[in-house]
Amino acid sequence: MADAKRVLTRRDFLRTGTCAAVGGLIGIPLLKPTVSRAVEQSRVVLVRNKDVLRSGANIRAEVLENMLDQAMCSLLDVPDAFSGWRRLFKPDDVVGVKSNVWYHLPTPGELEVAIEKRLVAAGVKGENISVDDRGVLRNDTFRNATALINTRPMRTHHWSGLGTLLKNYIMFTPRPSKYHGNACESLGALWQLPHVVGRTRLNILVMLTPHFHGVGPHSFSARYVWPYSGLIVSTDPVAADATGARIIQAKRNLFFGKESPISPPPHHIAVAGSRYGLGHSLPDRIELIKLGWKENLLI
Amino acid sequence: MKWVFLAQISTAFLAICVGGIFMVSITFAATLESFGEALPEKVMDWTKSGEDQIYDDRTIFDYIDGAAEVYRAYGMKRCFSRRYSGPEGSAMILDIFEMASPQDAFGVFTHDLDGDPLDLGQDALYRAGWYRFWKDRFFVSMTMDQESKTADHAARKLGEAVASFIGVDGPRPVILSYFPSEGLQRGRIRFFHDSNLLNTHYYLSDENILYLNSRTDASLASYEHSQGSAEVLLVRYPDRGKASLAYKDFLTHYLPDADAKGFALLENKKWSAVSLSGELLAIVLEADTKPLAEWLLKEIMEKASKIP
Repeated sequence: MADAKRVLTRRDFLRTGTCAAVGGLIGIPLLKPTVSRAVEQSRVVLVRNKDVLRSGANIRAEVLENMLDQAMCSLLDVPDAFSGWRRLFKPDDVVGVKSNVWYHLPTPGELEVAIEKRLVAAGVKGENISVDDRGVLRNDTFRNATALINTRPMRTHHWSGLGTLLKNYIMFTPRPSKYHGNACESLGALWQLPHVVGRTRLNILVMLTPHFHGVGPHSFSARYVWPYSGLIVSTDPVAADATGARIIQAKRNLFFGKESPISPPPHHIAVAGSRYGLGHSLPDRIELIKLGWKENLLI
Repeated sequence: MKWVFLAQISTAFLAICVGGIFMVSITFAATLESFGEALPEKVMDWTKSGEDQIYDDRTIFDYIDGAAEVYRAYGMKRCFSRRYSGPEGSAMILDIFEMASPQDAFGVFTHDLDGDPLDLGQDALYRAGWYRFWKDRFFVSMTMDQESKTADHAARKLGEAVASFIGVDGPRPVILSYFPSEGLQRGRIRFFHDSNLLNTHYYLSDENILYLNSRTDASLASYEHSQGSAEVLLVRYPDRGKASLAYKDFLTHYLPDADAKGFALLENKKWSAVSLSGELLAIVLEADTKPLAEWLLKEIMEKASKIP
């Protein structure tokens, strides 16, 4: 290792008086070159509705659709959701909806259907829309996509700390392990791949029943999901993930009755902003709009 | 009648039958395929459902997306998986991971040390719907989607059947023997090879300044001593050259302010120190007092001079 290379160590975090986990989460103090975006703040909409879930995790589709529409209106400052979808997508767009099929906590089918309906309402041809996860590299719609929508539930993850919107694009590479180093810190690089870069128009982080603590080989226990009943919507994946991460962190602290850092620290979120210029992770660079149910908001 | 054979290694010749008196001359080491035949299809109210599956180090991603890298970091060879269906739609999943070595089975067991100890296998823990233990080169996990006393009992019985079938114990990593025993928290020792895993347990740096890889053995341990608390990291390298390089880089990037003996006061007022003996690198990551850091390094170096 070249001596001249500046290595970020635990001591850098100690010097600034914050722990590694928190530093990794909120983006301080990353000493790598910063790529700033043109906008000062990224808008993130957190919408919740306590009626979206029936008993268990069964979803009321009509409530979920209403949440999505509310979020779209606030995100884009439009009077109706239809206008918002038409602003983001044109009739000649080819749209890949990057979903997530992890069987313990997949992207809800109700949400996928809602997205498709709204794309069609915005004029996109049905045959130019595809929802996929693990087959995106073989999917002609994704190969020819002019636009992407990224949606997945948030959950803790053994290797990256959190399963995030940023990480959801891991299927766009045939070599996922290439991005696994240092708790997957370079996931932001996925978004620079030629077939991905600049195509993502909307990010929807599903926070209906987030998973806040991994257990066992399957990294899942029903004990560690809770009915948060929310969606986080943004055009900035970093800001959306950072917002979700704060909610997960707050839930962990509350549940375990002490500071319980997400482990490993999901610093790929902050790195995606600072190194790859994909958005903002710091709270003061995020305009968070909270809609709907306020109880146990955690943020 | 259900036969469960006790697996033996190499020259042992024995099998037992649960529920009757039966002896047969047989010899085989436990293999993943043999678990399928040997393990019970019914455990209390839980019945095998679906076909048994065996995954290798590539197909494992299809099965446990998210955690597969942890197992691969311990040289996972294959995984046997069986699902049991229980009362009211409940499910119990048995996963048996065949690791590269018994040391790696121990290592993957130490990845998550949260839980209550159990007398099962060579070490076992239980926490909220998850039993796990290691024995020989196998790491065994039983997860239940619904917690209940009967589910716990069934998982425990199934675990005992698996442990019995494995039969033999395997050695623990040699590197553990370098830790001074006084104040050592035995339930908090971790063993690994990978820098990502080090950062999971103790975030050190964004670069692999210790040159950890599949050929290095590393262990992290906690101390609660009369002189205070401490975290200690030991790394054993395949050759002295790599150990020396790691020592130098650790001083350069992590302890540039260390004194001539390798001690430095950290920003959190704890002490860190590093020492090298042949292929063994010893690091006190943090200790409440300098005397504690000094004592730990002295003890480790003494052991290093005696253990080949």
